[in-house]
Amino acid sequence: MTFFAPFTIPFIAGTIFLFAVVAIKWILWIVKLPKVDKRLIAHNLFSLSTLAAIWEVVRESLLHVRIFRRNMLLGFMHMSLAFGWFLLIVVGWIETIVYLGFEMIPLQGHVFFKYFMPINGIESHIPLFEQLMDALLLLVLTGVALAWFKRFGSKRMGMRRATKHVLFDRVALGALWFIFPLRLVAESLTAAIYGGNGFLTGSLGGWIAELLPNAVVAAIYEPAWWCYSSALALFFVAMPFSRYMHIFTEIPLIFLRKWRLHPTLERKSYDNFEVEACSRCGICIDPCQLQEDLGMHDTQSVYFLRDRRYNMLSLKVANNCLMCGRCESVCPVGINLTTLRINSRAKRRNIPHEGRYRYLVDVDRSSGNGKVGYFAGCMSSLTPGVQRSMELIFKSVGEEVWYADRDGGVCCGRPLMLSGETDAARKMVAYNTDLFRRHEITTLVTSCPICLRAFRENYHLDGIELLHHSQYIDRLIAEGRLSVSAGEASFSYHDPCELGRGSNVYEEPRRVISAIGELREPRHSRRDALCCGSSLANTVINDGQQLRIAQRMTQELVTTGCDTIVTACPLCHKAIARATNHPVADIAEVVAGNIAN
Amino acid sequence: MAHRVVIVGGGAAGMQTALELKSRGIEPMIVERDIELGGKARAWHKLFPSFTPASDIMQPLAQRVKSERIRCFYGQEVVDIASDGVMLRSGERIPADAVVVATGFTLFDAHRKQEYGYGLYDNVLTSVDLERMMNGGCVALADGSKPRRIAILHCVGSRDEKVCQKHCSKVCCITGVKQAIELKQLIPEADVFNFYMDIRMFGPGYEELYREAQERYNVHFVRGRISEASETINKRIQIKAEDTLTGRPLRMTVDMLVLLVGMSANYENEVLAKRAGLELAPNGYFRTVDSFLGAVRSQREGIFFAGAATAPKSLADTLAEASLTASAVDDYLRRRFNTASTERAEL
Amino acid sequence: MSTLNFGYGINRARAIDLDTNDLGKSNAIIAEMPELQTCIGCGSCTASCSAGAITNFNFRKLHTAVRRGEYKGIYEELSKCMLCGKCQLVCPRGINTRALVMLIKRKLGDF
Repeated sequence: MTFFAPFTIPFIAGTIFLFAVVAIKWILWIVKLPKVDKRLIAHNLFSLSTLAAIWEVVRESLLHVRIFRRNMLLGFMHMSLAFGWFLLIVVGWIETIVYLGFEMIPLQGHVFFKYFMPINGIESHIPLFEQLMDALLLLVLTGVALAWFKRFGSKRMGMRRATKHVLFDRVALGALWFIFPLRLVAESLTAAIYGGNGFLTGSLGGWIAELLPNAVVAAIYEPAWWCYSSALALFFVAMPFSRYMHIFTEIPLIFLRKWRLHPTLERKSYDNFEVEACSRCGICIDPCQLQEDLGMHDTQSVYFLRDRRYNMLSLKVANNCLMCGRCESVCPVGINLTTLRINSRAKRRNIPHEGRYRYLVDVDRSSGNGKVGYFAGCMSSLTPGVQRSMELIFKSVGEEVWYADRDGGVCCGRPLMLSGETDAARKMVAYNTDLFRRHEITTLVTSCPICLRAFRENYHLDGIELLHHSQYIDRLIAEGRLSVSAGEASFSYHDPCELGRGSNVYEEPRRVISAIGELREPRHSRRDALCCGSSLANTVINDGQQLRIAQRMTQELVTTGCDTIVTACPLCHKAIARATNHPVADIAEVVAGNIAN
Repeated sequence: MAHRVVIVGGGAAGMQTALELKSRGIEPMIVERDIELGGKARAWHKLFPSFTPASDIMQPLAQRVKSERIRCFYGQEVVDIASDGVMLRSGERIPADAVVVATGFTLFDAHRKQEYGYGLYDNVLTSVDLERMMNGGCVALADGSKPRRIAILHCVGSRDEKVCQKHCSKVCCITGVKQAIELKQLIPEADVFNFYMDIRMFGPGYEELYREAQERYNVHFVRGRISEASETINKRIQIKAEDTLTGRPLRMTVDMLVLLVGMSANYENEVLAKRAGLELAPNGYFRTVDSFLGAVRSQREGIFFAGAATAPKSLADTLAEASLTASAVDDYLRRRFNTASTERAEL
Repeated sequence: MSTLNFGYGINRARAIDLDTNDLGKSNAIIAEMPELQTCIGCGSCTASCSAGAITNFNFRKLHTAVRRGEYKGIYEELSKCMLCGKCQLVCPRGINTRALVMLIKRKLGDF
């Protein structure tokens, strides 16, 4: 058997095109990877991480476990399409092997097996295959139906907004919607002519045979297969340029990630894998407060990645993000959205001129001598209550402290990085590193989560323990060095983005507050906590818009009915204080007011 | 029977409106939240620009209210306003033929500008604290000593979007000048520095007083807003500003920092307005029909305003407006009940 | 210090000449961020400035110069800014100062 019919030509051409483009993309992206990344691949290729990657591919690329956890219906839609289609291919392949043995069967022979080998052409056919293939087809069709449903009624799927798509996506999506219904039609017509006993195609074929005259069935038989083949071809041609490229990108991405590759503050080829791994599922849209509070619908991560991928990223979209990390924490593909956003900003602005920040040379306004350093942070000088409270706490536990910036300091550099000026920020990193080293501190306590994150992620401060003041206080209490008096007061704690999602500090502040009074959680807390809106990362929204975000977020804290709202970041503190008349305090202030030493 | 008008608030505006209504033969009633009449002006030391003791104005007003037998409810908070009466928190309803809202303003809470250290540093005061001190006849630091260097900061809680106070509180500039002079009079050897963004001397005699402060009392005026304050070990206050006229950052250490706190709209305005169907201006004050002939009228027939409930006002402006309110209420009652005030007087 | 002096001052005229200064770039900047015009010159930004505490960087003077059509040396001078954001937290007009620094640099630096 030749396994050839004219209608398979579109399919064959489309398939060749698809695999050629995907191969070219992969090869180019990998060739362009920086040396460090290539070395990582070589080093980890034959290790357990490769096995772990395979397991994750099954879980995420086929079963979509993460989407399932987030939203059952959405998870089922993705799973039925991906896993269902995958099984159709696998079971179909097994079917041909069973019937024809390991002969060289061309690809189209597998795909259009029903056409080439209708049921009456097989001597001893196995009904199980018929039923199984029909069941799988039904599974995929269910996914398609849900996809239709999502497009026209995303709210019912538990998503308030579905993604707006580009042309390639629409073409691919349109083709995808028709592939399986067309397959159903084609296979049912085959069953109508040659017979078949699958519960889906067989029954449908029986009805068609009853309802339509034989001549009509015979006339539309070939065109139906043509349509099916063409829909496949159309999908395959559009696919590498559409969001469906994520199918072929997520798989290598999972491997690269397991081999410890990650995006950096500078753009590099690895970013391509992350950018094109976005399926534009739109899960990142709902948690975005710019959408929820300000009605902005073009700047969410899904649109940012889309724009970046098609080279149409505007400065405004790149800059219009709070980098609160709420979207990143729900992204089912685990894309490093914040880092990608930062390195998109770097594109044209990152050109420090030579003498920049030369004025920093020889500046040292620190005071005190201690192995414990305290870096209040620029913003903390506008919330002096925090600094005073920390000084009181240091004093009451007899800690000798070196004050890095009591008389004004040099910025940690993170605000510059967030604006894409990573090279310039390095001068600040070098300055502060040198300052810490010169004063030989072994612990660095900071009151600003932004600084904390910079010290942890962008500095090399080996040998210096980096703590936020909430962590430091928690430790003092645990070690018995500091005792606090417990009372009746109730507190509602706001997780600052850079401290919670950014630095994974959730428990320490809660333990400290619980030692003093009753802790009440707002509706959104921990990984889910809302942003105060004052984020330095966003340079597009104005003061009034920041206020609106702060007001809505503060409302949740007020409605807990707490006596005092507590936070642990000077920026959040200011944002909340302007949004309400309710008492607001930093965690250090609460502790300092309840010292029982 | 005479028409009855309920006045919400027994400060300067409320008392003066009541007296004016009484003289027109209308029966006013005052509902006051506090346990006595007088409002915020009662605690004030001297009034600009003439240095008249506040008690010279406020005490006679309160006495006249008493001698005219105007009925007053003390310690009662109004929770609902309508043109036919008010509802108290206790649940009691006071029916009336018209209502005057004379609820005044709230002083800006200086704690909200934590960068100035109010409540944190011993020697940071508000202008209200300073008046209280002057009432006691002695301006002193926390340790009892006399301040030698004093900074007065204008616009704390005024013209500041960071605390949602966009408006100018109008009276702080002249208050700052007045207090600077008083400080110089009390402590002639002290240096007084006023930090300002703009000096707004809108009233009669104000500009003259400003000039006097500069020329006769050698008060220093620095054009720049203090951005932050910190406390030194010996409890002095270190302040940072830009001297915008020389274009250079300025740092100085003072013994005392006085914050000229602005006038905020009452927090309760929002609920009251919503229930009564009144409108609020963006800054939270009650909105009047217009700023000309309708300056004391609300969007609801039968509900009127007097004093600082609609915008920051000086005491002089408030007292003048109270007469206007009384006349507007009188007009309304006459139109509504078709009676002449002379007839009413006979009744 | 009566006029801006960034090391280019030797031959510059003392007066700001609004008859000859080209306000094109200035207007383009204001068009993108109209809130710049709301500055009341209180100096809070300069007073709180982290960079201004170390060097003679004065943001208020710089953006005012830009609004008068004086662009020379501004880009270099603005590069002293650490973008720490303190000025934004104190500005009574709620001007997005950090965005403004970036905008002026972008417009004057032509990128």
